[in-house]
Amino acid sequence: MQKKNHTDAELQELRTGGIIKQKQKDYFILRTRIPGGYLKADILKKYSVIAKKYGRDYVHISTRQGIEIPWIHINNIPKLLNDLKNLGILRGACGPRSRNLIACPGASVCRFGLVNTEELARKLDRVVFGKEVPKKFKVAISGCLNSCSKPQENDLGFLAQGEPEVDLSKCIGCTLCAKVCEKVCGRGKREPAIIMDENKRPVYRKENCFFEGDCVRVCPVNAWKVKKTGFAVYIGGRVGRFPKFGIKIANFVDEKQIPRIIKNAISCYNRIAQTQERFGEALEKQDIETIKKEIL
Amino acid sequence: MNELKVDQYLDLKGVPCPLNFVKTKLMLEGMESGSILEVLLDDGEPITNVMASVKEEGHQILKVEKIFGYWKLIIKKT
Ligand code: SF4
Ligand code: SF4
Ligand code: SF4
Repeated sequence: MQKKNHTDAELQELRTGGIIKQKQKDYFILRTRIPGGYLKADILKKYSVIAKKYGRDYVHISTRQGIEIPWIHINNIPKLLNDLKNLGILRGACGPRSRNLIACPGASVCRFGLVNTEELARKLDRVVFGKEVPKKFKVAISGCLNSCSKPQENDLGFLAQGEPEVDLSKCIGCTLCAKVCEKVCGRGKREPAIIMDENKRPVYRKENCFFEGDCVRVCPVNAWKVKKTGFAVYIGGRVGRFPKFGIKIANFVDEKQIPRIIKNAISCYNRIAQTQERFGEALEKQDIETIKKEIL
Repeated sequence: MNELKVDQYLDLKGVPCPLNFVKTKLMLEGMESGSILEVLLDDGEPITNVMASVKEEGHQILKVEKIFGYWKLIIKKT
């Protein structure tokens, strides 16, 4: 077999560019990234071309909405990287860097969605992806409280919220909004945010609201609507060996603030954590109020 | 609005989700635009789910009424 000397630059590329050592000698896994999980069908076809040409005719879908192609031989890597560039396939991250941003389907198709996650994921990829950090850094966005992309399990999570508002002049007094508020939205876990008064009119109590809009969906005459949307922000969530939920540090953050919050969170992580430490672990030794100020 | 002329009628009491919505949808599909459908639905999930789905399909809800353990829904096909 022909011997090849790899240049330093090539080896450096291996380390940063989503090429992961497989347990078998001379074989690597190609990790790609798909921001928010949105992939054009044409690009999907190209994955198939790559898997056939360089891999063993299959791919593995990761839990971070990426596609991985195992069984890449070391000698083929330079050619493969070149092909990826030409085909428009994005390389993922490994090592001490921030990862692919994940998102749920969101408002473009999901009936619960309060924000369009597709657009947002595309915009944020550049801000989130591939930054140097002590261990790894994961960001997730969910279009509503149902949390399908699990923002609370990521180092930084954004969960869309919508504040409802009722126009009593439209209300026909059917009581359904109060009913879903108690039974569906709150699952009986707290005092409902909507109660009916003696005139069969809904009364909204914001302090009990989950900001997810079941009332809006159910109202037969569209008396309820979403007045404003924003994002709850979670920091320090992780799964791994020692799982922990993220801490909520804000409600109703404006979408425009998200890139800034991501940058701040990454720099905060770099400031407070030791090498190999996750954000959440480092946060355990910090005063959260100070951290809030730094990030928000 | 009290003198609604109901063109079609569906009793979906005891019919679970999402079958109740599917039946409602099929019925509406066979009806002419502007005609009126009355549907009876169980309390709980059935009424809330069917309500949200009918709205998403763009139909108009003319009346909602609670009758003991079930609901009466009057829908105008768009
Ligand atoms: S989190 Fe909400 S918006 Fe996103 S997919 Fe789940 S239910 Fe839909
Ligand atoms: S969004 Fe708020 S008011 Fe509406 S159903 Fe949910 S908790 Fe109740
Ligand atoms: S669901 Fe709409 S019509 Fe029914 S009580 Fe609530 S606001 Fe009024």
